[in-house]
Amino acid sequence: MAMLEVNNITISYGDRPTVKDFSMTLEPGKICSLVGESGSGKTTVIRAIFGLLPGGGKVTEGDILFEGESLLSYKKDQWRKLRGSDISMIFQDSGAMMNPTKRVGAAFTEYIRTHENISKAAATKKGIEMLERMRLPSGDNVMRSYPFQLSGGMRQRVGIAMGMTYQPKLLLADEPTSALDVTTQAQIVRQMMELRENYGTSIIIVTHNLGVAAYMSDHIIVMKNGVIEDQGDRDHMLYHSDNEYTHKLLDAVPSIGGVRYV
Amino acid sequence: MFDEKDLILEAKHVTRRFPAAKGKVLTACNDVNLKFYKGKTLGLVGESGCGKSTFMRFLVSLDKPSEGEIIYRGQDITKLKGEKLRQNRQNIQMVFQDPATSFNPKMKIRDVICEPLLNFKRIKPSEKKEKAKELLEMVELPGEFEDRFMHNMSGGQRQRVAIARALALEPEIIVMDEATSALDVSVQKTIIELITKLQREKGITIGFICHDLGLIQSFAHQVAVMYLGNIVEVMPGEDIGENCRHPYSKALLASVFDIKMDFTKKIESIDSEIPSPLDMPPGCPFCDRCDQCMEICKQEHPVLKEIAPGHEVACHLY
Repeated sequence: MAMLEVNNITISYGDRPTVKDFSMTLEPGKICSLVGESGSGKTTVIRAIFGLLPGGGKVTEGDILFEGESLLSYKKDQWRKLRGSDISMIFQDSGAMMNPTKRVGAAFTEYIRTHENISKAAATKKGIEMLERMRLPSGDNVMRSYPFQLSGGMRQRVGIAMGMTYQPKLLLADEPTSALDVTTQAQIVRQMMELRENYGTSIIIVTHNLGVAAYMSDHIIVMKNGVIEDQGDRDHMLYHSDNEYTHKLLDAVPSIGGVRYV
Repeated sequence: MFDEKDLILEAKHVTRRFPAAKGKVLTACNDVNLKFYKGKTLGLVGESGCGKSTFMRFLVSLDKPSEGEIIYRGQDITKLKGEKLRQNRQNIQMVFQDPATSFNPKMKIRDVICEPLLNFKRIKPSEKKEKAKELLEMVELPGEFEDRFMHNMSGGQRQRVAIARALALEPEIIVMDEATSALDVSVQKTIIELITKLQREKGITIGFICHDLGLIQSFAHQVAVMYLGNIVEVMPGEDIGENCRHPYSKALLASVFDIKMDFTKKIESIDSEIPSPLDMPPGCPFCDRCDQCMEICKQEHPVLKEIAPGHEVACHLY
C-alpha cells in the first residue's frame, strides 16, 4: 500500500477551483517534486496534504489518504498528533516561521515539549543533538541565537532539524532553497538527500528549479494552471517527454555550456 | 579581446569600508578594478553579502566609495556634486530586483515610465501618454498598459516596465541588480532575450548582478567573480563553464544544479559558511574554505594576474 495517496482532489478558494483533479501516490523512501510556474497550484497541493490551507481554501472533491486513513476528516487534536511527528513541513524561509522575539532554543524546546512529555533540560539537549546532526556547528550557540542572527542557510537547517526531530515518514518542503545562494542550496539539497538515505524519509518538494527537481526526485510532476500537465521519472521528463509545456520549461533553464544570446 | 577604445567606464582601486560596532571595520569592497566596454555586458557573481550590490551602487551614484575612483567620460563620477551629479544620472540607470516594491504603487504606468523624462524636461507633460506607449512597445508590452497600475501586472510585465523606465533616458549604462531572480524560469528567459535584443539595437553597456552561473554565461561578455569584497577572477563570458580557474569559481560552478548534469555524481559544495567580512584573514580571503590552501595563501594576499587574454585570476596557484 502506498504511504500517501491523493485521489482526484479539487481545491477551491471560495467558489473558484484552484487545483483540479489532482492525483498522486508516494511510496515510502521516495522523493517526488512538484514543478511549475508561480500560481500553478504547487503550494496549494502540499498545504492541502498538511491541512494548512489558508482561510477559505477547501478540498471540495476527492480524498487524501495517509497510510490508508483519510486526512480530510481529521479533527484538530488528531492533526496536532500527526503534524511534526508523522508528517512535517519545511517552509521557504524557516526564519519567518519562528517567533522573532524568541530565541531559537525557546521555539525548539516548545516544539519538542508539545510532542513529548520531557523536561526543559532534556528537550534542550535533544534540540542541540538534532542541530548538530544537521551539521550546524556549535548547536548550543544556535539555540541561544535569535532567528535574525542566523544566516539564511543556517535558518533553513534549523527548520530541517525541527522538522526531522521525530523522524517523520513524510517531509513536505515548500521551495526550501529558493531564497538561498547556489552554494547554500547545494548544501541543503545534499542534506535532504541524506535524510532519505539515513531515515528512509519520503519527501515531496515544491520547487521551480528544474535542476534541483531533476537531481533529487524519483518522480516529477509538472503543474500548470492547477492541473497536472505532465509527469514521469527523471529520464522520461528530461529526454522522452513529448509534452510541449515541459519542453518550454526545460528550454528556459539556463545551463552551463548552453545557449548564448550574445 | 576587448577594444580599449570602447572602454566606457573604469573602476580603479575602489574600496568601501563601513564602520561597525566596537570600532571594527567592515570592508565591503576591497580594491576593485573593473572595466566596462561599450555594448558589452559585465556579469558580477558571488554569494550574498560579498559586496556585488555595494559596488554597483557606486556606478549609479547611490553611494560613494571610501577610496578609489570611477572614471566615466574622463571624469571621476564619485566626486560629482549638485547639478553635475544630477545631470550625470541620465547616463547611468538602474533596474532593481523587485519592481513591485521599487515603484510607487499609486502611480500609473505612464507616470512611472515618464517620470525621469519629466524630471530632465525632455518631454512636456502633454506628451506623456504618447511617449509611454512608445516605450512600452519597445519592451514588447501593449501600449494600452500605460493606463494600468503596477499591481495589475505580472512579475515579468513589471520587470519590463522597470526596463522601459531605465531606458527612457537613453542611458549608456544600465545596472541590473538581480533583475530576474524573482521571476519564473520561463519568464526569465524572455526578459534575457529582451535585454540582449535591446543591447544589440542600442549599444547599451550592462552591469548585471547575479548568482546563477548558468544564466550569466548565457549572455555576459565578461564575468567577474567576487568573494568577500575581492574580485577573485575576471574572465570572458564563454569561459565560465570550462576555463574558470579560481577554486572559488570552481566551487560555485560545482554547486549549480543543471538539467544536463550527470545525476549519478554527488553534488559538491563548500561545507562551511561564508566568514564574516569583519575579521578578514590577512592572506587570501578564500583560504579557510579552500581545499587547495597552501602556506603562502594564509600570509599573502593574492593579486589579479593575467593568465590568458581577458582572463585574470587572483590565486597563488597560478
